Amino acid sequence: MRRKSNLLLLVLIVTLLTFLAACGSDDPSGSDSNDSESTDDNTEVSSDEPVTLTLFNADGEEKEFNDLIAQKITEETGVVLEMDYPVGGNEEAIPLMIASGDYPDLIFAKGDIGKLIEAGAVIKLDDLIEEKGDNLKAMYGDQLDRLRRSIDDPSIYTVGTYGVETAVWEPSGTFQVQLDVLRELGYPEINTLDELEAALTEYMEKYPEIDGQKTIPLSLLGSDWRWLITVGNPAGFAAGLPDDGQWAVDDDTGETTYKFLLPEMKEYFKWLNEMNAKGLLDPESFTQTHDTYISKISSGRVLAVADQNWNFGDADKALIADGKEWRTYAPLPVTLDENYQSQALKDYGFAGGWGIAISSTSEHQEKAFEFLDWMASEEAQILTNWGIEGEHYDIVDGQRVMHEDERERMNSDANYAKDTGVGYYIYPFPQWGNGAVDSSGQSITPNNEEQIIENLNAAEKEVLPEYGLDNWTDWFPQKDELGISKHGSVANYTIESGSDLEIIQQKADDLTEQRITQAILGKPEDFDAAWDAMIKELEAMNIDKANELMTEKTKEIMELWGTME
Amino acid sequence: MNQTSSNASNMPEASTIIESQVKPATQKKKYSKQNGKGFWKRLSTQKMLLLMALPFVIWLIIFKYIPVAGWTMAFQDYKPQFSVWEQDWVGWKHFKDLFNEPMFYRALENTLGMGILGLVFGTGSAIFFALLLNEMRFMALKKWTQTISYLPHFVSWVIVANIVITMLSPEGVINNILTGIGLIDSPINFMANPDMFWGIVTAADVWKETGWNAIIYLAAMAGVDPQLYEAAKVDGASRWRQMWHITLPSIRSVIIVLLILNIGNLINIGFEKQMLLGNNIVMEKALVIDLYALDYGIGMFRYSFGTAIGIFKSVISVILILICNGIAKRIGEGRVF
Repeated sequence: MRRKSNLLLLVLIVTLLTFLAACGSDDPSGSDSNDSESTDDNTEVSSDEPVTLTLFNADGEEKEFNDLIAQKITEETGVVLEMDYPVGGNEEAIPLMIASGDYPDLIFAKGDIGKLIEAGAVIKLDDLIEEKGDNLKAMYGDQLDRLRRSIDDPSIYTVGTYGVETAVWEPSGTFQVQLDVLRELGYPEINTLDELEAALTEYMEKYPEIDGQKTIPLSLLGSDWRWLITVGNPAGFAAGLPDDGQWAVDDDTGETTYKFLLPEMKEYFKWLNEMNAKGLLDPESFTQTHDTYISKISSGRVLAVADQNWNFGDADKALIADGKEWRTYAPLPVTLDENYQSQALKDYGFAGGWGIAISSTSEHQEKAFEFLDWMASEEAQILTNWGIEGEHYDIVDGQRVMHEDERERMNSDANYAKDTGVGYYIYPFPQWGNGAVDSSGQSITPNNEEQIIENLNAAEKEVLPEYGLDNWTDWFPQKDELGISKHGSVANYTIESGSDLEIIQQKADDLTEQRITQAILGKPEDFDAAWDAMIKELEAMNIDKANELMTEKTKEIMELWGTME
Repeated sequence: MNQTSSNASNMPEASTIIESQVKPATQKKKYSKQNGKGFWKRLSTQKMLLLMALPFVIWLIIFKYIPVAGWTMAFQDYKPQFSVWEQDWVGWKHFKDLFNEPMFYRALENTLGMGILGLVFGTGSAIFFALLLNEMRFMALKKWTQTISYLPHFVSWVIVANIVITMLSPEGVINNILTGIGLIDSPINFMANPDMFWGIVTAADVWKETGWNAIIYLAAMAGVDPQLYEAAKVDGASRWRQMWHITLPSIRSVIIVLLILNIGNLINIGFEKQMLLGNNIVMEKALVIDLYALDYGIGMFRYSFGTAIGIFKSVISVILILICNGIAKRIGEGRVF
């Protein structure tokens, strides 16, 4: 026994020594780096050497700050960025940063910003904006309040992320129907689910096979998180709800309800259930993988999808590459019936919530702020969006015109922004937004509506005049009609992690994804019972409490933003 | 040597004498000052062995024992920005939350269900396959078969899951064959049937791991004394009889040791299979504890809750191992400790 314990002791001592040695060697190196930083600071004061600012970008990737645009930014601001990013989409990056207390100068933390504020890791920007934030003030205008954190702590910690003036020129997320369906059926008006169903049925009867394969009238992708994109969200859009995630907000009162409790949702899914019973819904809709889904669409035999462009964009490109332009899709404002208005063009205003913060440990807080403010200037916006005059664009008759080859590369090369820097330093920095114009009245981004119309494919250009339209957006209710959202979007709320609200929503989301899917695939006569059972389960989960908490949040935001009447 | 060390503490002088005969004088001086002389002596004779073991002991302590301190998280409302001393201690709160959550019991049921199925069919198929390979007399073919059979082990679950989903889809190979030979009229949507999910996971697992798991049994079979087979042949035993009466009993202790180790891991079946093969329709049957801990623990930054789940899993594992080891001890077969 004694021998054993002696041995154990020895091992413990050895381990301890190892540890002490490791800790010991840590200390001097720590102070070393501090020293070198402070000397950096001194040299900065005495000369015009550019300052290196570290930036953590939660959406970042491996990239050196050395392209032409970056060089120009350094020239103008004296700042060199060293960009860091979470490896493999690591969700732990911010908590780890907090645990170590080691912060970069600039932090873009997305939804984790609340944790940084709680930990005192980032500074308030109010005074800096007041003193020297002229560009930011001009950019945000009366939407500056949307940057504030909360009623209890109405300070500004972040700037940037989304554009202040956004416009939708490529509606997406609603039903999209193959152009060939429209052509073959003599360009019918399709505005409601019934009209859509009729069109799909008719085309299906005419062409049960496309290129030798079975025609699929409607395919969804409900096997993973994309359930929300192709099943959950389109249901809300069909009921004329703007995109508030899984929530429905009364924009006048701030009353917020879990979306799937609404009777309109039941109506939509009942329609899907009938579509399934009639064989119009792809039986693999809820089991296929994203790859299968994309390859199906790429084959051109799927007549309609309910999806976001970014989710099936690969298939769209493949169809065009195969010369099947008539198999690409037209986004349509399809709703439950005429009483609902599609909100695809809704202006959510500046979304607020997320943004770039300056860390409390940074040695260059003023410099960092000056940099952010400069990024909001007109000069910076033109530089980051258009590139350098003579290099990427020319001014012809006072108008910026992008070089033809640059434009071409921009539209076809996915790495264009990363390689050249043109368009790379827009998100998540302060940006004016694609709807903004500069002091001479020109669009601040090269991708304005005319460009998008010009880039429509040949089939689209043939279909649109048949309906008397210039762009698909003309088919939708216009953004002026819909008004600006008073609460932004629930999807951008920061919800405290581990809170009751978060847990209840997660459980409710898991449940609805499962139960609604089962109800859709079940027999039509069982649908009502299945739906009622789901509502009961939701109530048992205390969904009412989540509704209350979310309503409180919406009301707080409206009060904070001064949008509550 | 043994005698020397056992007498060391009682008869210091005698041992010094003996030592001085064995060891050079310089070393004698060093050791004679110690009380537990025998211990140091043994230490010095085994020092190379100990040195070799040392890195692993250190590794074990650093990576397996020190992290256990993190278990305290389960009793706090852990927030990463604060140090250990600034955390709120909440006692058993997270365990109470866990045991009050119906989803957790569903996850536990699924985990144990798929774990047991995997264990039974995984072990069974591996032994059966090893037996068949062992009987193969044509060496080149045997090697080929073995190599091919364990290749799937190196294929990522992401790929395997895609293959399985594609094959089992309504337009997939399996349905084409079944409708082709007239067994069924309309295609079955296998992946959309919650009752089939456990079976699909187990089958995929068997396909992927049988060859790999068979290697260790095959190695055990290679160690069986050929004389036993020769004797059996003389007695007129058929190939099947030899397998049943010689091969299997000879590797029985290997089987039992592996079984005990695997049972301890019953609850640690991971979540890749379930996450990759699962979809919203079968989620009821696909939710396993690790998936639950990921979604409702770490995924929501509820580190404390996640740790509570981890502790619960460890406790279950230890209990399972103890039970199995006890049973093995009772029936007098190879055991782990």
